[in-house]
Parts: sequence; C-alpha cells; structure tokens
Amino acid sequence: MCGRSTTTSPTSKAERESRLPVIAAETEDLLRRLAPQVLGAVVRRYGNFDLAEDATQEAMAAAAMRWPRDGLPENPRAWLITVASRRLTDLLRSEQARRQREDTVARWTLTERGAPRPDEPRAGDTDDTLVLLLLCCHPSLPAASQIALTLRAVGGLSAAEIARALLGSEQTVTRRITRAKQSIRDSGVPFALPAPGELGGRLDAVLRVLYLIFNEGYASTAGTALIRADLAQEAIRLARTLHAALPGDSEVAGLLALMLLIHARHRARTAPDGSLIPMAEQDRSLWDRGAIDEGVSLVTAALPRGPTGPYQLQAAIAAVHDEAESPEATDWRQIAALYGVLLRLDDNPVVALNHAVAVSMVAGPRAGLELVQRLGADARINADRRFHAVRGHLLEMAGDCTAALEAYRAAARVATNLQQQRYLNQQVTRLQAPPGPSGPFGDRPAR
Amino acid sequence: MVGQPSGRPAWTQEDWAALGAFMQAFSQELLDSGELVETRGLSAPVHTRRVQLKEGVPVVTDGPYAEAEEVLAGYWVVECESFDRATEIASRLTGCPGPEHLRARAYADVRPIDDHQPDFEG
Repeated sequence: MCGRSTTTSPTSKAERESRLPVIAAETEDLLRRLAPQVLGAVVRRYGNFDLAEDATQEAMAAAAMRWPRDGLPENPRAWLITVASRRLTDLLRSEQARRQREDTVARWTLTERGAPRPDEPRAGDTDDTLVLLLLCCHPSLPAASQIALTLRAVGGLSAAEIARALLGSEQTVTRRITRAKQSIRDSGVPFALPAPGELGGRLDAVLRVLYLIFNEGYASTAGTALIRADLAQEAIRLARTLHAALPGDSEVAGLLALMLLIHARHRARTAPDGSLIPMAEQDRSLWDRGAIDEGVSLVTAALPRGPTGPYQLQAAIAAVHDEAESPEATDWRQIAALYGVLLRLDDNPVVALNHAVAVSMVAGPRAGLELVQRLGADARINADRRFHAVRGHLLEMAGDCTAALEAYRAAARVATNLQQQRYLNQQVTRLQAPPGPSGPFGDRPAR
Repeated sequence: MVGQPSGRPAWTQEDWAALGAFMQAFSQELLDSGELVETRGLSAPVHTRRVQLKEGVPVVTDGPYAEAEEVLAGYWVVECESFDRATEIASRLTGCPGPEHLRARAYADVRPIDDHQPDFEG
C-alpha cells in the first residue's frame, strides 16, 4: 500500500501515524467521511448513542488495520456498519453484565412526540450527519464538550488527535467525551431531527460550535502556533457537510463562506519565523483565489435569499477585504456600513471595535477613537487585548504617540498567544524608536 | 406487549370496550403515519401449545402453562425512522386503559428486526 500524500502538514502526519498504520490519504478521507454515516446508521437501528460511538471508533480502527492489508471491501460503508454493530452487541453485553453486578439500570422518561406529520422527513430521508451534529451540540452540554464530541462523533477524530488539536491532554478529552455521551444518554434525547419549531435554535448552537472549532484552529487561544490549519480545515469540512444537508439555509451558507474567506488568507498571515503579519502588510498574491471565489459566490447567493444573519454579514465584510487588490483599494465605506448592520443584529463588543476601525478608515482616527472610548465602560471588552490594541493603533494614527505606547503596552500585558504578544511588543519598540510606517490591526475573525 | 395473569376477574364490559377503542386508535395512527407493518392480538394463554424436545423427542404440551409468569398479549411490527422512534411508539402503550393493578405490571419490549437491513446493504 502506498504512503500518505505529502500535501498535509508535518504535524498532522506525525499525529495520525501515531494512531493508525500508514494508510493512503484517500482511505483516511473515506473513513473520516463515512464515520458519521456509520454512527448514524448504528444509532438509528440500535440506539445507545454512547456505546455506538465507541463501537464506530473501533470499527474505524479495524478498517485502518485491515483495509491496507486486505484491500478495500466491496462496500466499505456496509463493512463498517456490520463491524460496528457486532462490536456494539459485545459492548452492550459486557455493559449489561456490569450493570447487573451494580444493580443499576439505565432509565429515562420518554417524551411523546405523537405520529409524524405527513410532510415530515420519513425513514432514510433524514441526513444522519445533521442529526448527529444537533445531538453533539445539544444545548445541555458545555461548549468544550460540544466541540470535543463533534470532532469525534462527526469529524471521526480520535481522542488523541482532538487533544493535540485543542492543546489539551488526551485524558481530559476522553473524560469530557465520556461525560458528554453520558449526559446525552441520561437525557433520553431521541436520535431524530428536533420538531420544526425547535430546529432553528438548535442549528444556531451547531453553527456556533463549528465557528468555535474554526477559530480555535485559526487563532489559537494559547501556545506558540498561531494557525493550526488542520482544525480550521476540519471546521470547513464540517460546515460543507452541513451546507450539503441544508443547502437552503442562508446562515449555514454564510458560515461556510465566512470560513473560506478568512482561511483564504492563511498562507499570507504568518511570516517564516511564525510571527503575525497584519492584513495591510500581507502579500495578497498568497491569498487563495479559489477559496475567495467560492466564498464570494456562496455569500452572494445567500444574502438576497434572506433572512440576513451575522454569519452572512461577516462573510460579506471578509469578501470586501478579500476582493481588494491592495489595502488602499479596500472599500472601507461598505465595510463600515456592514459592521453597522451587524451591530444592530448583535450587540457584540468585538463587532463594535471592528466597526470603530472601519469608521476611522472612512472618517479619520478621531471618529474611530470616539467609538472606542464608549467601549471603555464595557466590561466585556475593556480588559481585552483587542480593545487596547485597536486603541493604540487609532491613537497612533491620530498622532498621540505617548498614549498609543501605553495602549500597546496594556495590550501586550493581557495577550495570551505568544505570537500576538510578540507583535504587540514590536509596536511598543517601534514607537519608542524614531517614527516609522504605522502597522495597523491584525485580521482576527470578528467574534 | 406483555401482562401477567392475576387470577382476579378484573375486566368489566366497560374495560374491554375502552381497551378496544384505545387499540383501534393506536393502530390507526400508525397506519396513517405509514409506520405499521403488522399487528396482532394473541388469544388467551389457555390456548397455547408448547413444542419442545423432551429427552431428544419433540413433545407437545397443551396450555395453560402453569409455570408462566408473563403472557405475550400481542405484537406490532413497525417500520420507522429509528429505534428511538419505535421506543416512543411503544411508550404510548402505557396509556392503555385497564384495571390499575394490571396496568402497573404490564410492559412492552422493543427490539430491532435483523432481517431487513437496508443500511447494511449500502
């Protein structure tokens, strides 16, 4: 069997090889794509989401061992479902024996849904991946568990891979996943699409989790690596799957577009030494044109369809940036207007901060500073790195170098990411030296 | 669905009528939603014949089987979106009317059928 393709980053290659034998990239892609389908089919037939998830992981591991040796089975999906089902039966038997010893039985109270309406999706019509996503992002679970469970049950990643991606320990991730599965089991949530009136709110949770995964990959909250592209790519893959299941949902399309449009810049965003390059200084020829075109066409199709939501608006803003051939050519007036609309939908201080920057590009630094000063009373943002960094930048543009220096220092003090800290300290050093060219804000996603 | 013979003359004419109406409505709803494949109520356990090997020879015993503690009263075969949905359907049987001491002890088991597996065929 041939080795893995060389297109993935060295870290991800090392990561996967520690778990799986060397398997072809296509086999691994196939396994990852089939994982939610197999889990869905097994849970649909036998219930027991928690054990079915373990059984599916074991079937995947068995496939990774055997397929490279014996060749791909005629129907890989059926092979995996059969192996996972057998494994589930074994797991249930040992679970039953354990429960009898402990004299405990799993109990839950059923809620009655009544007969399905004629227009409701019938058996086999519903997309198991969508049901799984909704289940993994159930509002009763804490965000960290939603993320870990989604990456494992829908993304098909092992606990070790998730731990590396989230910079946590494997033990913590495993515990978190186990607890999450237990609380899903205890709640008795059925494996089914929620009632039509409930779907919207539940979908919001899924979008939020996917965006959290993306941001975790894009600008890590801790550690030295600024971009862990694998997580961002995984979030994009999951968003694509969701978009395929719900092609008519504008916000799902908006989220996918937003991710593509931000990720399109990832190659230009870090210098060879790993340091952050702000958008205005990036080499735009490194931006991924294909991703930009796809993102632009997605958001262009979604916006007129409505209803307009925050993901579409942020995607539209990212598109305006991506379409500018140079920083000077950026249509700041349009960006400021889009941030204005976004602020009305969502009272988010980070959005307000970005709005202030856009306004300063249209109407000058003093106009922007005025908006930033108002945020000084907002406890959600006034201790945040981004608040101080933007203030420093605008103060510098306005010519108040002493105040700007103080603001950059404050930002560097609270920054948790080493690269961001380094960037902010550079600003401090630069301002202490004779005046040079100004370095604007970074292009971190606005949420 | 399973109940246990109590030896008490528990069922009145009204009880039977209420049971019949409940079962009819229950099955009609499954018929309307397209989930019902088949349903049968079984006759009294006294009509049971049991076939088993006794010292290597097939032997038929006529009912009632004295040692029986529970009686299969009937079954439904449903084809629905998931095991969870089947469980939901079965849970509605807990609303079946009848004398309280019987209702408290009756239960329904839900099991997947193995021979119809479109998922497994891909």
